Amino acid sequence: MRDQPAAPLVSVSGLQKSYGALKVLKGIDLTMKPGERLVVIGPSGGGKSTLLRVMMGLETINGGSVTLAGKPYIRAGATPARTVIDIAVRRSIGMVFQHYTLFPHLNVMQNLILAPCKVRGENKVKASERAAALLTRFGLGEKLTAYPSQLSGGQKQRVAIARALMLDPRLMLFDEVTSALDPELVGEVEQVILQLAKQDMPMMIVTHDMWFAKNIASRVLFCAGGVIVEDGPPEQVLGSPKEERTRDFIDRVFHIRQ
Amino acid sequence: MDSLDFTAVLRFRDALLQGLLTTLELTLICIVLGCAIGFAVGLARTSTNLPLRNLSSVYVEFFRGTPVLIQLFWIFFCLPLLLGIELSNFASGVIALTLYMGAITSETFRASLKSIGREQFDACVALGLPRWAQITSVVLPQALLRAIPTLLSNCVSLFKESALVSAVGMADLMFIGSNISNNTARPVEVLTVVALIYFVIAFPLTRAVTVIERRILQKLAV
Repeated sequence: MRDQPAAPLVSVSGLQKSYGALKVLKGIDLTMKPGERLVVIGPSGGGKSTLLRVMMGLETINGGSVTLAGKPYIRAGATPARTVIDIAVRRSIGMVFQHYTLFPHLNVMQNLILAPCKVRGENKVKASERAAALLTRFGLGEKLTAYPSQLSGGQKQRVAIARALMLDPRLMLFDEVTSALDPELVGEVEQVILQLAKQDMPMMIVTHDMWFAKNIASRVLFCAGGVIVEDGPPEQVLGSPKEERTRDFIDRVFHIRQ
Repeated sequence: MDSLDFTAVLRFRDALLQGLLTTLELTLICIVLGCAIGFAVGLARTSTNLPLRNLSSVYVEFFRGTPVLIQLFWIFFCLPLLLGIELSNFASGVIALTLYMGAITSETFRASLKSIGREQFDACVALGLPRWAQITSVVLPQALLRAIPTLLSNCVSLFKESALVSAVGMADLMFIGSNISNNTARPVEVLTVVALIYFVIAFPLTRAVTVIERRILQKLAV
């Protein structure tokens, strides 16, 4: 058994998503193995963030399905409004957003333990101990009782990552998590994600930061116009892309960075 | 007219105090019940369910668009006919003012619910929070915090509007005040004192609104 290729952690098939007449995802097929770190790059409006949002179960879809560890948890219905989402499966996915989305009326600790206590009925004391350990690991040991409004952007985003990890996700989705940060705060957030990568946390990352993409990806997808244009190891897609559209994009992005 | 004489007021201070207690009791009951209705209706008005949204809009617009005094009379005189039961003055007062408070606070809650960003709901979904936990732990506390300044103003209005229940014979501060003023022929003194009592309670509340508003905004600035 051990010699057989690992069963896919995620498989997306024929995924279609429209906003009115606008087709944002035009039939995406994708499989992801356990332990893989997929970085999705591409121009704005190309469907990267939408793909992540669909996988998190935040959007209705027009066609296709998404499966996690063999369980189909998102399936298109007769109409987008009838999209079937299995909430129990969805709970094993964590997501971090561009704009932190911390709960402003709760302090850092309360932000972390809310879901474990409400979703899993975890004991408050136990959850708090786990939260404190996690926050200390992320360099936030002194911010347990701070409110989100008292934190910097980088600190908020680290709290948001810790909050998602409290539910022991099997897959983490990062949607442009450093895009709203001041440049000097990007590093501290990326370090935390790199830490997770070292522990083999499967993740999918949408980013515009090519340095980060290169450092963290085990595989890179170039997504444009609602389809996956190129899919391969980082050296290929970022270094010597096969597709012309990818090459154009990479050239432009690196040109802007220089 | 001879000079002002406040001894009449002093003589009836116990009665006035009794009236004030009735007013406060009525106001507090209607604040609690009205806010509960207001929050539910506020949620209904932001719901995706069209019949629910329309029904709640009709309720709110009716109660916001008609004089409270007429609502009060309507409930006092018509409701017993419709329901076939006798309502006490106090019960009619509570029903009328609660429905009125529900209508105006639902607008307050609706505005505060709208100010909660869509991203907060995304976060709830991503964390797998069940629907009831979303409402009780995320939506309600934030809506309440944001609504508090306006709710306080709503409460002050209700406290003053409650004087209308004297019209259906409920022995509140206003009713007792006008009775004393009729019986002593000292309307200026008595009504001035009654107005002062209302003012002494309402003024600190309106002042508090400003302070509380600033603190809440500081806390919620993300």
